[in-house]
Parts: sequence; C-alpha cells; structure tokens
Amino acid sequence: MKTNNSEGCALCNATWGEYWREIDGENMPFCCNICADIFQEMVRRVKENTGWDKIDYINLEGNYSKGRNCTATNGDRKYSYYFRTYSDGKFITFEER
Amino acid sequence: MTRCPVCLVQMNDTIARLSDHFYALQLKNNADHIMWLNRYIGKQRFGQDELELKFEKFFRTASLKEWIISNFVRKFYGDPPHMFILEMQHPKEYVLKGYAMEHHHFLKQWVRSCASIISNTDMEDVQAFEIENIVSEWYGAGDSRPSHHELLLRMGESLGVSRDAIYKSEPLPATKRAVEAWSMMSRDFTFVEGMAAMHSLELVASRNIRKYGATMGYFDPVILEDGSITEEAANFLGEGYNADVAHSETALDLIEKYSKEMRNTQDCQAVFLKSIEVFDDYLNARLERGMMLEDKQQ
Ligand SMILES: [Zn+2]
Ligand SMILES: [Zn+2]
Repeated sequence: MKTNNSEGCALCNATWGEYWREIDGENMPFCCNICADIFQEMVRRVKENTGWDKIDYINLEGNYSKGRNCTATNGDRKYSYYFRTYSDGKFITFEER
Repeated sequence: MTRCPVCLVQMNDTIARLSDHFYALQLKNNADHIMWLNRYIGKQRFGQDELELKFEKFFRTASLKEWIISNFVRKFYGDPPHMFILEMQHPKEYVLKGYAMEHHHFLKQWVRSCASIISNTDMEDVQAFEIENIVSEWYGAGDSRPSHHELLLRMGESLGVSRDAIYKSEPLPATKRAVEAWSMMSRDFTFVEGMAAMHSLELVASRNIRKYGATMGYFDPVILEDGSITEEAANFLGEGYNADVAHSETALDLIEKYSKEMRNTQDCQAVFLKSIEVFDDYLNARLERGMMLEDKQQ
C-alpha cells in the first residue's frame, strides 16, 4: 500500500523519528507508534466499511487538528472518508464523505 | 532552569540541552516528543545544530504575556480554529450538552488548582486574585450572582441534562488526563507555573481574542440574543462574554511579573505548552460527550 506521503511518515509525512510497522503484510514507515496506531485503525475501518480485501493507495489531506480527508483506492474503486483523533490516537470521528 | 514541555522534566541547563533532549528522543522514536516537534517546530527533520537554533527562536521572548497570547491564538484560533470553537459559533444542542457535562469536571479541578496556587505562594496579590476566581467560578456571591458552575448546571438542565446526571458522570478519558495534568502542575510546581498552566486557558473565551489575531470569537455574539440557544445557555455564555475585559488579563500580568522575579520564564512556557496540549484534547472531549448524549436520547 502507498500513500501520498512519500517523504516520511505514511500518515503525517513527518521526517522525525523512524518507526516501522507491518500493515497488511507490508512494512511501512511512520514517525512514531501513535501515527502507526492511527493508520492501522484507519485501514481496518476502511476495509470493514468497504468489504475490500486490499487497499492500493490512500491520499490523505489535512492534519491532526482539523482532521484528515482521505480517498482510498482499490483497483478502480474509490472510497472517500474523513477522520479525526485525540492526540493519543483514539478516534473521535470516522465518516464516509 | 529549563523544563521540557512534553515530559516536564526540569533540567538545570540551557535551551540547547532541551533541544538535545528532543533530538535524542526522536532518535528513539518517542511518540510524544516527536508529535511536539511536528506541531510546534515543523515536520521536516533538521540536524542537531539547526534544531538548537529553532528552539532558541521558539522560546525567545521579551514578554511572556505576549508570547502566551500569540501561541494560544495560533493553536486554538489559527487556520482553521479548533473544531470545538468552530462548532461553538452557532452551537447545536449536542455541543452545549457535552460542554455542560465535561466542563463540570474541569471546574471542579479549576478551583482546586486555584487553591493549590494559593497554598504555594506568599504573594497577597496572587492569593486575592485566586480567591476572587474561586468565588466567581464555584461559590458565587448570593442569589443574585450565581457562580459560573451554577450557570453551567442550569444550562445543562435547560437542555435536558440533569444536575444529577452531571454529578454522577465520570469524566471522559481525555478530560480525566487533562484534569490530572492540571492538578499536578498547579500542586507540584511553583505558583507562577501553576498560574501559567491554568489562567492562560481563560484566553479561550476572551473578548479580546480577535484583537490578538483570531479570525473569530469564542462564539458569534448574536446567539446571545437571537433565541437560537436556551436562555440558560445564553446566561452561561454571556457571563464570560460580559466580564470586565481588563480583568481577564490580570492573571497574565501576574504571571509575567513573578516569572521575571523568579527567573523561570522558560519553565512557565513549558507548563503552558503542556497545558494547551491537554486542553486541546479536553475540548474534543466536550464534542465527543455531546455526541454520546445525543445518541442516547435518540
Ligand atoms: Zn507521523
Ligand atoms: Zn521531555
């Protein structure tokens, strides 16, 4: 799975820290374990809501305070959603958009 | 002295060592310190020397009061303002319900923190200020001047959230974490750090906030008169809004004065930064609680 954050953390694109976690069988870079937790939970919810068995690509726009508007792609299928979390990674909102 | 704005450890050293502390912890992938760098310094990694310069610049100030105001405005009234403040402009009922319940827990801690500050100082101007604060926030001055807390409970009642339900509620985890942090900072640190942690937060509802660069106020004042919220809600919000504007900055003046005397400006900056981080989550808890209460009634 790829995201538009190509420079650093797959969730927030920060280049501080270097924390790796396997997501869906692929080793992905994060700045810290909280970003990894958020990303993992986000992927779980996308798959649960769409019934997809894989995600090819996720485009994420926004930041921790305003939340993130995202589009996930699986082949030619697309799913758009918005989510926001507390600073410890706990989800406040996750909704299809 | 220098204090870390994340783990609050106090170092008998300079800003440069604080910068090194962050540099070392990001190498160890410490989430809290990395998040702080991302939010306050920038997401792009620099070398250790450059980080030191950024830290010097970030903490440098001639006026702690102005530094607190500008950092507060940037965090909560920046582009865009905090989600709670956006929701408060023309609040739906769920926002005010969540506000009523979570803020009860906030105010309960608030007066304890005021008391901690009193017990940590010999300064009579500070003690008088805090006593006055306890009276207006929690105790009130007779039937004609109910406390802020009483007005909050009445707002809750007007929206169908009873004072019994509020008293029986447990704070949400984010509120609980925030309350614990404020309890510790006002009790265990110097009185001026305690004041920096607590009273800086009063800026959120300051009528002056637009003068300081905010693009909107805490709420659109038209809601006090247009009948879109209950009379009790308008009374609660209006009390803060109509309070003496000069008075709201007394605390910041005291913080500036005593931090200069005690030479602990950076320590005050650190606890302020910690306090606004937990406050950010706490404001989100008001929204989450509102959504929870709304779901239950449907
Ligand atoms: Zn990240
Ligand atoms: Zn630290």
